[in-house]
Amino acid sequence: MPLSTPVNPGKIWWSGDNPGILLKESEDGPWSALALFFRIVYTPAGRGSALFLYEKPDVGASLPDVHNVVITDNEKMARWLSDNFVGSLPGAFSESAAYKALQYVPLTDAVVSGDTSSRYVQRVKADGIDVELIWDQLGTPTALELSPEHVGTRSHEVFNLLVESRDASIVVNGRRLLGQVVPRVQAGVQTTTGFVYFSEVWIEP
Amino acid sequence: MAEQRVAVNPGVVDWSGENPGIYLRDTDDGPWVTLSVFFRVVLSPFGSGHAMLVLDEPDTGKGWPDVRNFIVNDNEELTRYLIRDYVSGFPSFRDKPGLEAMSYVPLDTVTCAGDPQSEYIETVTAQDLMARMTWSETMEPMAVEVTPENSATGKHDMYSLFFEARQAKIEVNGDRLSGNVSTRQFFGKTMSTAFLAFSETWAKPQ
Repeated sequence: MPLSTPVNPGKIWWSGDNPGILLKESEDGPWSALALFFRIVYTPAGRGSALFLYEKPDVGASLPDVHNVVITDNEKMARWLSDNFVGSLPGAFSESAAYKALQYVPLTDAVVSGDTSSRYVQRVKADGIDVELIWDQLGTPTALELSPEHVGTRSHEVFNLLVESRDASIVVNGRRLLGQVVPRVQAGVQTTTGFVYFSEVWIEP
Repeated sequence: MAEQRVAVNPGVVDWSGENPGIYLRDTDDGPWVTLSVFFRVVLSPFGSGHAMLVLDEPDTGKGWPDVRNFIVNDNEELTRYLIRDYVSGFPSFRDKPGLEAMSYVPLDTVTCAGDPQSEYIETVTAQDLMARMTWSETMEPMAVEVTPENSATGKHDMYSLFFEARQAKIEVNGDRLSGNVSTRQFFGKTMSTAFLAFSETWAKPQ
């Protein structure tokens, strides 16, 4: 529940929607594919959209061999997110071989379809690349207000809205990437690695 | 002792999205002469959608085209829910005849432009309407979190990212509507009546 002081004294780091899908072929195996989409309303480097796609997280290469790419309409903002946020997340997004190989590609279209009560789809296009992020079996929307110990960076407060997905997939140029979502726990909430996060506000306390 | 956060809000989420507004007066102690709010909703019981509400004559019980009191929208069920459960409870809109009488106009296009750190613009078009809200001279963003005692409806928890704007204007079919940005008491402080509100989530406490 909100604290009794309405205005948080912290400095805003970034804000926007941030749905993602992390897939494994088995629960105790390595990540097989990752996707994190940003619809940003504020960073110090501006606003825009960006998809971080790791088709093969353990491969240190990008186009034309593998879709380890950042598709964006604001490269300055996307690089700010990479340097400051994605790169500070522990685990696959910052530590995999793909992270250092990410190639930046201009976004040509980003469209949402479906509904947050059943199936939600984010489609992102670039020249020769058509990506669909699909979240099925959606859960009840839950408002979270997270202290630093509950967030990936371990140093920020976050307000956001979580809609979990129990069946999510990443489709690239019509081909579904390997893997499925797996269980995870956030702030004591049993959830999955398929998540639609809306209305995120990241705050430096 | 410092308050402890509860990570999971036990309330039922009503809706989430963006809800910037511009409320204008002729003089600082005068009545509202023009009111406008915009919604970009990503989640609600009635789906997603957009709406731009303009009351050029808040105290006149007439709609478009007699007066410029209208709400251009692409999801009327969602829009009527937002008006009934939210806007009609906002202090600046409460009991305004123009709110009751405004016309619901189907939206053709909606676009946003600019950047909230400088100038930000929302534009909607409909069959015979082009309405635009512009915010400029924005201040540092701030995160707000309010309980029902401090929320605009008096009933909800609300989280949001706010930018106050020192300058703002509302235009309809090229005409700039009357009034100036003023101040009001909100969130326990004196705030501008022109604001960008992003990443907003409203929840009903249980």
